[in-house]
Amino acid sequence: MINIINLSKTYQKENNTVEALKNINMKINKGSIHGIIGFSGAGKSSLIRCINRLEEPTNGEIWIDGINLMELNRDQLRKMRKRIGMIFQSFNLLSSKTVFDNIAFPLRLSKVPESTVKEKVHSLLELVGLKDKEKAYPSMLSGGQKQRVGIARALANDPDVLLCDEATSALDPKTTKQILHLLKDINNSLGITIVVVTHEMEVIKEICDYVTILEDGEIIEEGSTTRIFSDPRNETTMHFVGSNHELPKEFKKGKVLYLSFIGDSAGKPIISKLIKEFDIEVNILSGNIEYIGGKPIGKLTVEVDTDCSKIPEVISYLENNNVKVEVIK
Amino acid sequence: MSELISLLMPSLFETLYMVLVSMIFTILLGLPLGITLVVTDKNHILPNSVLNIVLSYIINITRSLPFIILMLAIIPFTRLVVGTTIGTTAAIVPLVVAATPFFARIVETSLKEVDYGVIEASIAMGASPFQIIAKVLLPEAMPSLVLGITITLISILGYSAMAGVVGGGGLGDLAVRYGYHRFQTDVMVATVVVLIIIVQITQSIGNKLSKILSKK
Repeated sequence: MINIINLSKTYQKENNTVEALKNINMKINKGSIHGIIGFSGAGKSSLIRCINRLEEPTNGEIWIDGINLMELNRDQLRKMRKRIGMIFQSFNLLSSKTVFDNIAFPLRLSKVPESTVKEKVHSLLELVGLKDKEKAYPSMLSGGQKQRVGIARALANDPDVLLCDEATSALDPKTTKQILHLLKDINNSLGITIVVVTHEMEVIKEICDYVTILEDGEIIEEGSTTRIFSDPRNETTMHFVGSNHELPKEFKKGKVLYLSFIGDSAGKPIISKLIKEFDIEVNILSGNIEYIGGKPIGKLTVEVDTDCSKIPEVISYLENNNVKVEVIK
Repeated sequence: MSELISLLMPSLFETLYMVLVSMIFTILLGLPLGITLVVTDKNHILPNSVLNIVLSYIINITRSLPFIILMLAIIPFTRLVVGTTIGTTAAIVPLVVAATPFFARIVETSLKEVDYGVIEASIAMGASPFQIIAKVLLPEAMPSLVLGITITLISILGYSAMAGVVGGGGLGDLAVRYGYHRFQTDVMVATVVVLIIIVQITQSIGNKLSKILSKK
């Protein structure tokens, strides 16, 4: 669907050159929700804004549905942009126009007949759950409602792609969840490809199928969300998924193991079998189950108080049962 | 009293004629000029630094001249435009020349207040620069523009007091000729009162209109 090839972006400010994006290559599958995460300044916003050339890439190619956006002239680019919806952190609604007129705006830009506009806007208002707000002005709406208007407006032209630039970063956790569910529903019902830029792992966990982690303008890790959460390989990624397990010193008497139960293994009584089979004592320090893209991932930090000779056997036993093991100490 | 009114009325109409006609031409010229100043900025939708700098200089030069000097200096231009250099209509030319750059700067300030995020959103929706100006910049800045028009209108009223120099007539001219040269204090006072009333009415209509238009 979206194919980014050798994309780079440098900003020139007086004598200062900043490389915001360095040779980015990534593929975004049709119909997927693809997350891009990174610390502030990692280049994630530049990256998503390069996809519709809101930011002009310095080098590289942006392919969407077989069209290279870098080769389009102004008119062609404007037409192409109508197939790419975008929502923003600060909503960017027209304060002088009602909710109805805001959603109708992209349609009227394309000179769609008014009767069609009315029909389309009403169906969009229904989709985002704002049927009773059509005559309200943006200043009368809450943040969540404003973003719903933003989403409706972005969907007005029936785009193939929806770009979300920190779309939930200005919202409280509860509203964030509602907006994310709305995005997920839209992805399911319309089959639209969604690209999400965020600094919150919660957002990725909630809706993304795939995730790309950016640091200093480079991709440091990418993969399915389940893989990234269960088996993060890069240190920054670990920071994001919260698996840089720091335990209080007094806990670390024996061997501390960090276990990830993926898929089927999350439902099996592996630990109790382990205790019986090896005749060892296992002390559970912490644990939880997270649902990532609907799949359960169990995380358990345990302390195995035994002489070290049995440890390799314990580990291989666990790994044979589809449990990922990390020895912390 | 009736004598005073018969003195005031023609002057009042001359003033209103000069000010309103000048305002119309000022908007017609100053609005596109102000828009050009904003959109040709290097971080805006149609960056063109040469045009931007040249326009900015021209505006600054015109604005540096005191109105009375400008009015006399452009007499040849006035003759070219309206065919005469004296009378009420002749006064409109320098009024427009003086007010246009002033108004252009006010338009510039108003349009710059429009959040660039909204403009970016329109670009992302595939809007053309013309559509952005007509459907985003101007409607979003309208409450501020209305206040700007009010300020400009009151400034033109102030300039128009000097129109007597080129035989333009008006309230200012009346106050000078009767109130000052003939020591008719009542004419002076009456003129001042009428001017105060015009300014008050203009400002409150402007404020109210701006408030109605503002949906923020």
